[in-house]
Amino acid sequence: MRTTLMGAAALAAALLFPGAVAAADAARGQALAESCAACHGPGGNSQLDLVPSLAGQQPLFLTLQMILFREGIRAFPPMNEAMKGVVDRDIEDLAAYYASLTLEPQPPARDAAKVERGKALSATHHCGSCHLPDYSGQNQVPRIAGQREDFLLHTMLEYQQQKRSGTDTAMNAALYGLSEADLEALAHYLALQR
Amino acid sequence: MATFASMRLALGAALLAAAAVPAYAQQQQVPAWAVGREGSGMSPTLAPHAPKLTVTPENELPINDLRVPDGFKIEVWAHGAPGARMMAVGDRGTVFVGSRVIGRVYAISDEGGQRRVRIIAQGLKQPNGIAFKDGALTVIAINQVLRWEGIEGKLDNPGQPTDLTSAFNLPPEEHHGWKFAGFGPDGRLYTNVGVPCNVCEFDRDRYAILVSFRPDGSDRRIEARGIRNSVGFDFHPATRELWATNNGRDWAGNDVPEDTLHRVRRSGEDHGFPFCVGDWNDPAVPRRACSEFEQPAAKLGPHVAALGMRFYRGTGFGAEYENQIFIARRGSWNREKKSGYDVVVAKLDGQGRVTGIQPFLTGFLDASGEKFTGRPVDVQQLQDGSLLVADEQLGAIYRISRR
Repeated sequence: MRTTLMGAAALAAALLFPGAVAAADAARGQALAESCAACHGPGGNSQLDLVPSLAGQQPLFLTLQMILFREGIRAFPPMNEAMKGVVDRDIEDLAAYYASLTLEPQPPARDAAKVERGKALSATHHCGSCHLPDYSGQNQVPRIAGQREDFLLHTMLEYQQQKRSGTDTAMNAALYGLSEADLEALAHYLALQR
Repeated sequence: MATFASMRLALGAALLAAAAVPAYAQQQQVPAWAVGREGSGMSPTLAPHAPKLTVTPENELPINDLRVPDGFKIEVWAHGAPGARMMAVGDRGTVFVGSRVIGRVYAISDEGGQRRVRIIAQGLKQPNGIAFKDGALTVIAINQVLRWEGIEGKLDNPGQPTDLTSAFNLPPEEHHGWKFAGFGPDGRLYTNVGVPCNVCEFDRDRYAILVSFRPDGSDRRIEARGIRNSVGFDFHPATRELWATNNGRDWAGNDVPEDTLHRVRRSGEDHGFPFCVGDWNDPAVPRRACSEFEQPAAKLGPHVAALGMRFYRGTGFGAEYENQIFIARRGSWNREKKSGYDVVVAKLDGQGRVTGIQPFLTGFLDASGEKFTGRPVDVQQLQDGSLLVADEQLGAIYRISRR
């Protein structure tokens, strides 16, 4: 039943903006992405501390975040600068390009206790409701499976400290009351997912 | 590095603990919009729909699917304004449009039959409250009140606004903190303050209210209490009474509670949130007799997100529409079967009783009830008697007029 509902939701999302999906051009995005690789890594797989991998990310999530950087709503000076003046079509093509790539996770050394704790926290905090049970994300909700552990922790801290919000305030509230050790366990568990 | 990070976190946690954390925040273990989801019996995958913040070309707008009553026509009036929300019309016909997450205020003007869309402010925190009076544009973002005098004479270079934030001293919470704004016939500036939760106990003089001020932010007056999250109101053209839409809470079931329309006869009335919606007692809070509270003028449908509303002034649409209320229903997320995504008319009799809610603009939701191509958030009458409808989802503004 759960799967059916999600299938219907995914189908609805695919139907929602047929024009926009067809219009995004990953090949064009690849040409635009040259300067992004310096930080986000070859093929969108980041080798740098605190820089997220973009390969295999949800295209709508990427599009929305690039818009928020451009508009100065999400504050991070290097990205605010990088996105300055970038037009909507370029953003959609960049998103299509990174979404088309394959994520090659660089998982941390497995800590069984942390994994168990992270898994339990994910269940009680319903991470899989929006991020989906395999944490691959949907629409405006990002893939978090296989993301860099340090970036996951950094991002959750930013949400928890109200330094960042998404296109709504869901994540700010979702992490309310979790300790640093909780967030570390979640980041560790999620970084190990495929 | 680890030490530094843990120090920062410890500091952050200490600050959080030390700050006066409101009671509602302490209740939140899940996203604010999801409080109440547990045990609701509703699909756990229901979640707010994704916005679209990029420009949608005119040929991708669903104009051919849209339906209005016989004798009316609908056209695309403007497009390319991602996130377009609440509208106000200037003396010279400029349509000012607020937004939420994209943080922009647009000014749309007619130049030789074509619409020109300018971004006159950006980077604001949910500048949804838009009001125009005496040549000045007032914008209310979350905990920010800005005013540009003589705005229509400087659309290309609006300059720095007057910052009235501290004078108004509105609460800073983001959740349900976005505003609707409008000047009343008494010259005061009216706005809403939503409740920063789904359902909770809270300061009923500070949240879930309609409130008015002198234009400079002084002389705060509570117009109505117990209105959970109103994002639309207007004043009856004849009686001058304040009427407002209200969003009911989530996760109580697919069909309860309903969104509501409220008629405020006297300043300070109590309309019942969080205790009652009409005669429905909310089981999440202590029980109170619903007869203690003002009753809604009409129910507008469960979870439909009834937002911007305006009385139709004059007879341009025909006598049957004069002083009737057009209401934009953005469309549901917290309902397994989607509903809303339209504009309706609340029909009022001579005593101001609502005699019916009629569809007026439909077609954003397809026959399957799954796919939507628009989320109407506000309506606004132009000087020529036509009616604009703002669609937040695809950043378009439609115009409805008599054939």
